Amino acid sequence: MIRDFLKKRPVRQKAEEQEMEPEIPAGLWKKCNKCGAAIYTEDVIKGHYICPKCKGYFRVHARRRINSIVDEGSFKEWNADMPSSNPLRFPGYEKKLAEVKEKTNLNEAIVTGIGEIDGRKVVLGVMDARFFMGSMGYDVGEKVAAAVERAIEEKLPVILFTCSGGARMQEGIVSLMQMAKTSAALKRHSDAGLLSITVLTDPTTGGVTASFAMLGDIILSEPGALIGFAGPRVIEQTIHQKLPEGFQRAEFLLEHGFLDGIVRREEMKQTLSNLLMLHETNNVCQMPANETKSYKKSGEKIAAWDRVMISRMPERPTGLDYIEAVFTDFIELHGDRYFGDDGAIVGGIARFQGVPVTVIAQQKGKNTKDNIKRNFGMPSPEGYRKALRLMKQAEKFHRPIICFVDTPGAFCGLEAEERGQGEAIARNLYEMSALKVPVLSIFIGEGGSGGALAMAVADEVWMMENAIYSVLSPEGFASILWKDAKKAADAAKVMKITAADLKKLGIIDYIIREEEPATMETMEPICSDISEQIQRFLATYSQKEGEQLAAHRYERFRNM
Amino acid sequence: MFRKILIANRGEIAVRIIRACREMGIATVAVYSEADKDSLHAMLADEAICIGPASSADSYLNMESLLSATVATKADAIHPGFGFLSENSKFVTLCEKCHIKFIGPPAEVIDRMGNKSAARNTMIEAGVPVVPGSKEPIYDVAVGREIAEKIGYPVMIKAASGGGGKGMRIAHCPEEFDNHFLNAQRESINSFSDDTMYLERYVESPRHIEFQILADEHGNVIHLGERDCSIQRRHQKLVEESPSAAISPELRKEMGETAVRAAKAAGYVNAGTIEFLLDKNNNYYFIEMNTRIQVEHGVTELVTGMDLIKEQIKIAAGEPLEWKQEDIVIQGHAIECRINAENPSKNFMPCPGQITNLHFPGGNGVRIDSAIYSGYQIPPYYDSMIAKLMVYDKDREGAIQKMLSALGEVVVEGVDTNVEFQFEILENKAFQKGDVNTDFIETYFGN
Repeated sequence: MIRDFLKKRPVRQKAEEQEMEPEIPAGLWKKCNKCGAAIYTEDVIKGHYICPKCKGYFRVHARRRINSIVDEGSFKEWNADMPSSNPLRFPGYEKKLAEVKEKTNLNEAIVTGIGEIDGRKVVLGVMDARFFMGSMGYDVGEKVAAAVERAIEEKLPVILFTCSGGARMQEGIVSLMQMAKTSAALKRHSDAGLLSITVLTDPTTGGVTASFAMLGDIILSEPGALIGFAGPRVIEQTIHQKLPEGFQRAEFLLEHGFLDGIVRREEMKQTLSNLLMLHETNNVCQMPANETKSYKKSGEKIAAWDRVMISRMPERPTGLDYIEAVFTDFIELHGDRYFGDDGAIVGGIARFQGVPVTVIAQQKGKNTKDNIKRNFGMPSPEGYRKALRLMKQAEKFHRPIICFVDTPGAFCGLEAEERGQGEAIARNLYEMSALKVPVLSIFIGEGGSGGALAMAVADEVWMMENAIYSVLSPEGFASILWKDAKKAADAAKVMKITAADLKKLGIIDYIIREEEPATMETMEPICSDISEQIQRFLATYSQKEGEQLAAHRYERFRNM
Repeated sequence: MFRKILIANRGEIAVRIIRACREMGIATVAVYSEADKDSLHAMLADEAICIGPASSADSYLNMESLLSATVATKADAIHPGFGFLSENSKFVTLCEKCHIKFIGPPAEVIDRMGNKSAARNTMIEAGVPVVPGSKEPIYDVAVGREIAEKIGYPVMIKAASGGGGKGMRIAHCPEEFDNHFLNAQRESINSFSDDTMYLERYVESPRHIEFQILADEHGNVIHLGERDCSIQRRHQKLVEESPSAAISPELRKEMGETAVRAAKAAGYVNAGTIEFLLDKNNNYYFIEMNTRIQVEHGVTELVTGMDLIKEQIKIAAGEPLEWKQEDIVIQGHAIECRINAENPSKNFMPCPGQITNLHFPGGNGVRIDSAIYSGYQIPPYYDSMIAKLMVYDKDREGAIQKMLSALGEVVVEGVDTNVEFQFEILENKAFQKGDVNTDFIETYFGN
């Protein structure tokens, strides 16, 4: 080896002692809990407490979190010197509390108060893991309840950042009662028509998950946050099984329908600000009644079966394309809060010419991969339940609802039946009939049977010229009636499924003209027609009282 | 003076620094990645510490490992070499916080010179010529035309968001301006949705001339003459020489003084390089400052008789420069060829692998800086440069003959190298006449 040939001459030490020995000052590095890398502390602070290596999130102290969320200097803390309690007279608890208070400069595991986000007032509660692992005892419950009550009094939205190991053991049963207390307070807040947003940060578990964390009108989370009721260690010990990778992480909860969205820390303030803006009470729909042109005549004669084919063309713009083109500030909200987040239905809040509206669309994919995610536009029960959840939310905040319908039909499969496809569709018909806000449904492609109707119990139903709406597919119709699916074209002719036929039958109210079949390139005039008509719709229906709207909708279907 | 220096680098520059330290009686610590455990620098140093896996990000760029290694070995200074962390101001700051002397300029100087527009403004204020250009963004063709007139033709039209030649045009005369400007702007709008344009004097076929600077902590700044690095392939230097065939003693004096002024304006300390573009009419423009020792520092050493690494260490230790400008005499001519493990016929694709047989030239006026040896395995993770072959002779012609002879003696078996390509450059008539510019390789080799 070459090493053996090299002869090093020893070095003569001729230098004097240095005054300062090299050393690494304390606090120069912060260790990332996720990847173990040592990160320069100043980089951590500058980078929103996100590890630049693995993108893992450092836990953030409550006051730092508040500073990163509210406008500078706008935060005023409430109950900052609430005296501590020891309801069970638990030995040693008071001493421990005093130590933790001293160390953290906090008086409890949550900081509450009022602040402004981009000038919008909001009541804020932010938990801190350094204080007894963010556990909830009497004081946390009390501070949350008091803050929410004050928000009701002052008619303000509430934002709660959760971070908790669960109940405070030292406070026993009293700590359990805080779950009921905080939930009850949020119920009153919601009944007062006010907005609550919870942001689940790592970790949110136990009694906090099973109370206020999961009760926000909108539930957000930071990426990778551990969220669960029972902690993963407890579950593993109970069932004697290793838990899968990613179990109980924010992404897992999103997939299972419990989160509206995962928001990266650097976008948190902007997202909260947008959500507050979309829920400002003063921008409830006041659309000026614009003069609209009379209903346009539909174009030349195209055979019903050809329209069926056009309605299914993969080039046809999808629900999201129309949302993108007609609305602004769309924020997608996910999940049915029971089982999952259905990719076949997208929904959220957007603005139409400045007015907040809830938009929900049945969504087909643009390619095979996308179509698998979207299940080819065939919604599952969780999709209809998500749609209904968003509609009820719209009702609470007096937002009009606009649905885009484009589905071959509700998903036909084992899982869908297990979870109650029929029940989910029925529930939507039942609830939609009495919604106290304007509801509009626009058929943009296929309108397949009950799967379409579950988003079309509306004050007005419009169809694009090449959309179809039918009790089942022409293929299905032909095979049932004539035992031959190949006779689908003949079926299409007799079924009365085109926009023109349905307009004549009084099933729909308006036909959106397609100069040529809609594609991404030709959709501009179509979208301007839609926009014009939505404006007319909102101007007409937003003036009506909730009861009046429900009655109108009742009559509309009573007469069919 | 320092007792022990950690060398935060690898390859021939690490070896070069270890040798200088040893001559100065300073102990050395080498750091190496897992892929470099059999590398020469790790064997030559008094101590060697593994700082992480093969990937540079985890080893030679891993600040935490480097600082920990420095503290653990009680080294009092770090020499960064070139590349890796040599121009990373955050690393310099961290060294300072750990009471470790960084052998190089202060962090704020690195930042100031690293930021193109800040560097340009510093130079304008110091009266150093820069490539004339528009200061404000331009959106309108008429405004652009007026500014182009002031800048002088030919003018380069550049999109602010541009890249890869998109949104870029050269207008040679006012008649061409409108058309080119509008086309470039349209291209930028289409590609980058941005209509912000800039104008700059287009320096046609310039030479790349750089001046070596030494600055101590006591305000003394000298220059050691120039290096001509015009022979470049896609901004990678291949051949460097000193002095430049294009520079007269008068011009050297003027440009040298300008370089010293530039270094002073930057508040520079330690060894650094001021890069200029030199056009056919001997107009020169500052382009940037390199705040580190450079690969090609050896040619300056050969013509000045100085040891730049030792000077760097002495400056970092707080010693004043021993030399005044008038002590610096440029004598003879030096040329360097970079020997890379790459295949010129396969678009210069790097060619890592084991060196099965090795012979380097030697003799009067031949210098080899290398870290390879027979049996050495070139790892695929790092730069492909395996040796720097330098020659020194009384004049340029002698140096070229010596380089041709030396190149002919280079034997590297087991991997492909660019030795033949270097040979062709040295044999090129234009090169031999000293008629070179930055388009040389493209012109004669189409690369």
